Amino acid sequence: MSELLMYLTNGIVIGVINAISAIGVSLIVGIMKVVNFAHGELYIFAGYFSYHLSVSLGVPPLLAMPLSIFLIFLIGIGMERTLIRPTYGDEMYSLIITFVLSIVLQNAALLIFGPYPQKPPNWVTGAMNIFGLYHYGNQRILSFFISIGVLLSIFYLIKRTWFGKSIRAISQDREMAALVGVDHLKVNMLAFGLGAALAGAAGVVLSPIFPVTPSGSSSVSLNAFIVVVLGGMGSLKGCVVGGLILGILENLGAAYISTMYRHIFGFIILILVLVFRPWGLFGQKTQ
Amino acid sequence: MGVIIEGKGLTKSFGGLTAVKKVDFHLNKGEIVGLIGPNGAGKTTLFNLMSGVYHPEEGTLSFNGMEITSLKSFEICRLGIARTFQIVRPFLKMSCLENVLIGIIGRGDPREGIKAKGEEARKLLKFVSLEGHEKNSANNLTLIEKKRLEMARALATQPRLLLLDEVLAGLNPSEILQALELIEVIRTQLKMTIFWIEHVMGAIMKASDRIIVLDQGEKIKEGRPEEVVNDSKVIEAYLGESDA
Repeated sequence: MSELLMYLTNGIVIGVINAISAIGVSLIVGIMKVVNFAHGELYIFAGYFSYHLSVSLGVPPLLAMPLSIFLIFLIGIGMERTLIRPTYGDEMYSLIITFVLSIVLQNAALLIFGPYPQKPPNWVTGAMNIFGLYHYGNQRILSFFISIGVLLSIFYLIKRTWFGKSIRAISQDREMAALVGVDHLKVNMLAFGLGAALAGAAGVVLSPIFPVTPSGSSSVSLNAFIVVVLGGMGSLKGCVVGGLILGILENLGAAYISTMYRHIFGFIILILVLVFRPWGLFGQKTQ
Repeated sequence: MGVIIEGKGLTKSFGGLTAVKKVDFHLNKGEIVGLIGPNGAGKTTLFNLMSGVYHPEEGTLSFNGMEITSLKSFEICRLGIARTFQIVRPFLKMSCLENVLIGIIGRGDPREGIKAKGEEARKLLKFVSLEGHEKNSANNLTLIEKKRLEMARALATQPRLLLLDEVLAGLNPSEILQALELIEVIRTQLKMTIFWIEHVMGAIMKASDRIIVLDQGEKIKEGRPEEVVNDSKVIEAYLGESDA
């Protein structure tokens, strides 16, 4: 019983982090119709940044974290300005560009950081007894609460602020938003930076638990795409529910069926969704 | 008085089709000018040039003495030109209040509080008689309500020049009267210059100071409403060549 609860808890912790990463993809797709294949690489870079900032440069881990996310945000903005902006109007070009970029960044990570898995130091140590049922690592508990904090901030940003309203207006009707004075180019740039930063946030939160390696990036991207498809394109709620479902299924599957098949479960979900409900759980059916 | 917007030699073509051909026009401050012409005459294209959706291949546009020919839509909007659409385009997945807020946000200064903006948006909704619909999704409004909402959103950008693209299309006679009343209020109370495309002739002839007629992309006539209706070229453009 307590074993099952622990696997479930693992699933929920990973699920929330999945959700953050997926919202990053979903935002960029929703606003710019750009699928960012380099999403996973940004995650990996964030993990390495936070490792090197805290281990090589001695920055306290809880400061290294926001710093790494901010660096990824800047990289995202740089990507949008130089590579993505010229492709607006033709989705095929941006698809090719981000795909190439993902390969380039993966190899850059290999060159810069080396092939070894790295793990930033834990922020906290020890474990806590959960309701007298089982012991659970403090690091994971803290990761969970930080992720919840990130999720709540994103929801606040999108639903309540001027920036969020501009984002929603642009994703519904770009031309109209521009005609009532919304600077869509600036919003694009910030939104791309934000999407990148969310990949970074997932990276720094998860890397103390699962070490990052340059080759691990593609499964991060794939996970995010699976969650977006499962939850439904353009739905924040869908990203959260989808992320949790994927996290829980992967962990239960790995525990009770086989660890080897961990990543298979995501694909099974993807195929089932595409066959039976291609618009996802919360997406809108379009003709 | 003085000129608020002036276009010189505007030309825009799509492939082989010249939608707007060497059009000169101007509007004086405070004027209400009608833009008429048969379907495909280039009226909406001219509006698109003025609002930065398209840029002309030839010719220049100036607004309050400032050249705006190659500015982007949001820059033109911030200078003070707003428009409504023939086919209404509110943000359907947002509430009425949020729709108007987008226009206010679009003015630029993100620092002024969202509360003050909310107050202003409420006032604008009241101005177009949509009070009580603040939380309603724009999708649930009737056609005339959507048009009113679009008007409120355009007004939220604080324009000096309002481009109206067939606001009366699809409305019944009593709704047309309501819409005309609103336009009159906008003109007199808010002192706005209005450039107006319309197919409902009775209404536009009565309301406009001046009429500009386009046919196949060219300006064929400009003048007071009574001059325009009796012009042989205009009658020809609408009814075809007479045999006499």
